[in-house]
Amino acid sequence: MIVGEQKPISEIKEIIAPYKKILILGCGTCVKTCFAGGEDEVAVLASALRLACKKDGKEIEIEEFTVERQCEDEFIREGAPAISRNEGVLSLACGAGVQALARRFVKIPILPGVNTTFIGVLEKQGVFTEECSGCGDCMLAIFGGICPFTRCAKKLLNGPCGGSQNGKCEVNPETDCAWQLIIERLKILGQMDNLRAYVPPKNWQTGLSGGPRKLVREDHII
Amino acid sequence: MTENFKPKITLFHCINAFDEAAELSLTDMDNCEMQTVKMACSSMVKDVFLLKAFEAGADGVVVLVCPESQCRYVEGNIRAKKRVAWVQNLLDEIGLDRRRLALGNMAAGDKAAAAQIINDVLKNLAELGPNPAV
Repeated sequence: MIVGEQKPISEIKEIIAPYKKILILGCGTCVKTCFAGGEDEVAVLASALRLACKKDGKEIEIEEFTVERQCEDEFIREGAPAISRNEGVLSLACGAGVQALARRFVKIPILPGVNTTFIGVLEKQGVFTEECSGCGDCMLAIFGGICPFTRCAKKLLNGPCGGSQNGKCEVNPETDCAWQLIIERLKILGQMDNLRAYVPPKNWQTGLSGGPRKLVREDHII
Repeated sequence: MTENFKPKITLFHCINAFDEAAELSLTDMDNCEMQTVKMACSSMVKDVFLLKAFEAGADGVVVLVCPESQCRYVEGNIRAKKRVAWVQNLLDEIGLDRRRLALGNMAAGDKAAAAQIINDVLKNLAELGPNPAV
């Protein structure tokens, strides 16, 4: 999922300062799971902003609404009436959701309330870790399902650097050494031979370095 | 401090920490106006409820929970403690001051402990004055 975290209230206050009537629009998918932009977070932020504005003597009307997914037109449509009756929308979706809204509602300012941080997993309740860089050329099959590009601080594709201690990375001792994890996993799978093959440098044109990417599925286009 | 300021306190409490008799003894306190919210377990105290209490006009909010490791539902009071800490940070961020919100652990029916926790908040409110967001 896409992981994000809510911007500080002080920054959000500045972002919404020009508006007197604003909609806080949540997204019920990824950012809900990481407690950044679901229905509950919309309610808390709305309440906190109302208190903050009243304290500062600023009049503001805040409406709350959450759609299932802000990055798809089908779901955005549900929020259209609420969006249309406000001066601006503070979106608690990821950057894709904010831009999907901006594309559909060109005359209404769509403002970000969340910092989108990474593609990750829920490691345990309340802890999210980055596991994928979206490089466009997945090599997890040879690395036992552990991505060295994302999870190794040095992004090594050909073996451990030798600097880890007790399974922890020398760059950040709180992070597991990705290569230790890869080797342990390949041993379990009986696939240690995977590491005999040289992995050539990645072609970064499939990643963001090649510019914004687009995926086209002709079979779904009428 | 504002003269003749009689603070409004919203008290969230776990029914296992605090029975009706104890509740009555506290709501009789004449140095504040008290509104109580009973919960089956303190883990029901969500961040938005605490903020809504301030929006509804409370000058201070108190959450009374069972002693740690004595929660009937194992970890309800720990969850409440973490949520209160989260909202205290929010209160600081929006300029309301974290001292308006307090959590206290108390043994079942320990009225003296509850009164002490509330009095500590009242002392803070005497310094902070009325809720500036009302």
